[in-house]
Amino acid sequence: MSSIKEKFNQISPSEFFYRNRDLAGFSNPTRSLYTAVREFVENSLDACDQKGIFPDVHLSIKAVDPDAPDPKPYILTVKDNGPGIESKHVPLAFGTVLYGSKFGLKQARGMFGLGATMAILYGQITTNKPVYVKSSTDGKIQDEFELLLDIQKNKPVILKHNTKEVTKRGLSVSICLEGDYAKAGSKIKDYVYETSLITPYATITFDDPKGEKFHYSKIVNEMPPAPTIIRPHAHGIDVETIRRMMVESQFEIPNIDDMMIEKVRKDLGLAKKNLTFTGIMDKAAKRWKTLSRPVRVVISLMSFLEMDFDKLSKVRIDDIDVPNKKLYYWDFGDSQAKTIDLDSDNPYYKQLTGTVQGETLTAFLTKRFQRIGPSTAVKFAEFAGFKPEKRMGSLTNEELVKLSDSLQKFEDFLSPDPSCLAPLGEEPLEKGIRKFFKPDFCAVVQRPASAYSGFPFVVEMGIAYGGEIRPGGPHVYRYANRIPLLYDEGSDVVLKVVHDTDWARYKVKGEPPFVLVTHICSTRIPYKTVGKENVADRPEIERELRLGLQFLSRKLAAYMSKRGQAEMAKKRANLYAKYLPLISTFCTELSGKTKEPNYKKLLEEEITVDDK
Amino acid sequence: MTTNKIKDRKQKAKVKQQNIIDALKDHGAKVYGDLDNGQFPKFSIPSRSVSNIVYDKKLRQYILGNSAAVRSSRNSSQLRSFTQLMWLAFFANRLTQEKKSSTLRDVYYSSQAFAIEFEDQSESDNIIVDLEAVLSKPREDFHIFPEERSSIFGDLNIEYTIPGYEGKKMNLSNHPDGYAIGPSLTTAELLDTSAEIVIAIEKGGLFTRFVEEQVDKKFKSIIINTGGQAPRSTRTLLKRLHDELGLPVIILTDGDVYGEHIAMVIKSGSANAAHLRELTVPDAKWVGVWATDIEKFKLPTIPMTESDIKRCYDLQNDPRYQEGIWKKELDVFLKIKRKAELEAFSKYGLTNITDKYLPQKLELAKSL
Repeated sequence: MSSIKEKFNQISPSEFFYRNRDLAGFSNPTRSLYTAVREFVENSLDACDQKGIFPDVHLSIKAVDPDAPDPKPYILTVKDNGPGIESKHVPLAFGTVLYGSKFGLKQARGMFGLGATMAILYGQITTNKPVYVKSSTDGKIQDEFELLLDIQKNKPVILKHNTKEVTKRGLSVSICLEGDYAKAGSKIKDYVYETSLITPYATITFDDPKGEKFHYSKIVNEMPPAPTIIRPHAHGIDVETIRRMMVESQFEIPNIDDMMIEKVRKDLGLAKKNLTFTGIMDKAAKRWKTLSRPVRVVISLMSFLEMDFDKLSKVRIDDIDVPNKKLYYWDFGDSQAKTIDLDSDNPYYKQLTGTVQGETLTAFLTKRFQRIGPSTAVKFAEFAGFKPEKRMGSLTNEELVKLSDSLQKFEDFLSPDPSCLAPLGEEPLEKGIRKFFKPDFCAVVQRPASAYSGFPFVVEMGIAYGGEIRPGGPHVYRYANRIPLLYDEGSDVVLKVVHDTDWARYKVKGEPPFVLVTHICSTRIPYKTVGKENVADRPEIERELRLGLQFLSRKLAAYMSKRGQAEMAKKRANLYAKYLPLISTFCTELSGKTKEPNYKKLLEEEITVDDK
Repeated sequence: MTTNKIKDRKQKAKVKQQNIIDALKDHGAKVYGDLDNGQFPKFSIPSRSVSNIVYDKKLRQYILGNSAAVRSSRNSSQLRSFTQLMWLAFFANRLTQEKKSSTLRDVYYSSQAFAIEFEDQSESDNIIVDLEAVLSKPREDFHIFPEERSSIFGDLNIEYTIPGYEGKKMNLSNHPDGYAIGPSLTTAELLDTSAEIVIAIEKGGLFTRFVEEQVDKKFKSIIINTGGQAPRSTRTLLKRLHDELGLPVIILTDGDVYGEHIAMVIKSGSANAAHLRELTVPDAKWVGVWATDIEKFKLPTIPMTESDIKRCYDLQNDPRYQEGIWKKELDVFLKIKRKAELEAFSKYGLTNITDKYLPQKLELAKSL
């Protein structure tokens, strides 16, 4: 028995991830190399985004032995100009699993910064080499670490640490890992290329093991606004989440021990003075406005118990039964349980019951959710069939479910606050698409923010046609939170929507030179797998994608029909230029004339007419 | 035949030739004028769609109704075929002026010398029919002739009009294999004949038999082998023999539904040629082999095929098969569902057809 128990206890998070590395995208040398690249590049971009720095990310992959056959060890280095990591955090950040700075409800590429640690872990397992981290937060001093990860203990082992003077701020991480660049190469190049499309404000450089250099300079000179951390939206939030929020919204009855009594006395300015019950109450009434909540609660209790500090120190509050207006307590002096009735006329009644039962429904809604004001909250209460002043703590289970259902059904909530999201914006997206694909036609759209299960999301899309785009489209470039999604296309919601579209209706036929870029931003992208490559088909997301696509398709159709007309006119002009001279020759001989008719006039007229 | 009449006919032929040239020139001048005035030229072409083909009881043939399609050079989808038609008019003019002859296939290839593209021969064939419709003249009039596969034999004197042979005369009984009915014969002057009837026969084998058995002399006839469905030059010649020399025409075909229709086409034309009116011999008589002859002459038969039967039903809807022997024989064919070829008479001896059957039918023809 005891040995089994031991085994359970000894699995550290590091070991857990090690054993389940397939889930995180480290299933084989090909996939692992690609995932490691992604994790480091995305960490760098996230760090820069958060500090409003135009990212300049340098990625390099070098084979340890260039002549060995794949799979083989590679040295992967990612260097950025971001804020860096403070020296004291470096070992923990890179040497433990589950140490991250990315908690909270806002959009970021990765959630908890786990992936990078996984990559380090994978590198260490496959090559037994340490990770090299160089970090400078001030652009003057750089800390250089050589770390190993103690998998069993989930602890960093610092092999070397020294500092150096530098001129640039930023972070550089270098690991050695087993990879298969022969197979992963094209995906990694695609990844870098597609990342630079959705991050047009970043400069990204990639040195590949074969000596090729890929450089993508920044195209736009504005950063999209950085996302902020915000409250959830009411739509689609579930019962469990409400229950958790309610726990926060209710206040505990303060434990009335000596320390608490000491604090109350101090706050009332009675630290060394003994007053009677009424004296204390008078003093409290005068100082009420300056008192903290727990102190107020103690005073309220005293008002019902009608006790001074001395008596108060000899009782234990057992329960406050608000519906039955009873207060139960244990009197140590008498050694017996006692009950008193709570008089609702007592001016402190509200203070006490409010504490026990938490906020009113309207206060709960306005404080805990985004975009709900007092009037909306009252309207909602009416809609859901609750009294606005209903205390959250008094809700039964059935009422909770009813509340949750109503929150989803009520249609007058404003759409979620997208300030926690960081879409790229229409202008940078269009610039990126134009620069990358050099199309004849380009249109972009950013849909209004929406929500699924309480998580806000924004869909932005671009469509491009013709120009230098290769035929065989639509070529779909999928992004989620500025990450390109390259694997598992088939099961993705974007592809589903694209395939459902009848392109012929929009005058797009055959193998069109046609690109579609979709970007879903959310505080939580509903990925189907841990590998983060395909987005699940949530109806809310599917709907926004569909509407966005329809909007763009209509624009494309308008362009296509204009283009068709222009092509037609050109074709016709060519036809006239080809056939009219022939007709002219034939009719000249046929009519027995020697000079050809003046048909050129007709050619010119026709062309100018069609140009209009 | 008096010299006057011959002169008269020569004159007529010349006028006909001139009419074609004038008509072509008129169209050319109109197109020229349009172009010179900054207008897109166009042709009005009588519609040959099924809905515009009607049977004219008086003329006893199919004719085109009044609807016509405009082919405009402005319309980019018609420009190509407009140019093709224009080229053909130009080419026909050259052929006629230079008295050269051409064929459908020949025209298809000739186009390539002028940077005119035809997808295939059927496209150029269609344009030729378009020009026929525009001019209301058969293509033979502008020197585009069918491939030769029919022939003629009998005491008929002709005089060639084609370049290099002008004035040369010929008697068509000098060569026992007969004479191919080509452009030179179709355009030749028909001088005189001792024959009193024209016998058109569907098959080459029987034609040879008839020559051997001296049907031309025994029955004072001109024998024509139509080689199956009579080509248009043959139909033109039949018409000229009937109209110019006043000879009655009788037709002998296989005893089946196709034979019956070969006779009908000679008599009243086909829907395909509804735009033309000079290809029919309305007085021509089909004398056999009738369905009723099969029983009467106890001919060996073969069963009708599915397509034979289908063809019978198709023809039952044709207005020309609604009365007389046409209807009667068709009904009998459908009833007995058997057919007999001309060669079937050989069961009773090689000369049975000329000795027994033909005289009977010639006698009968007088009363038809």
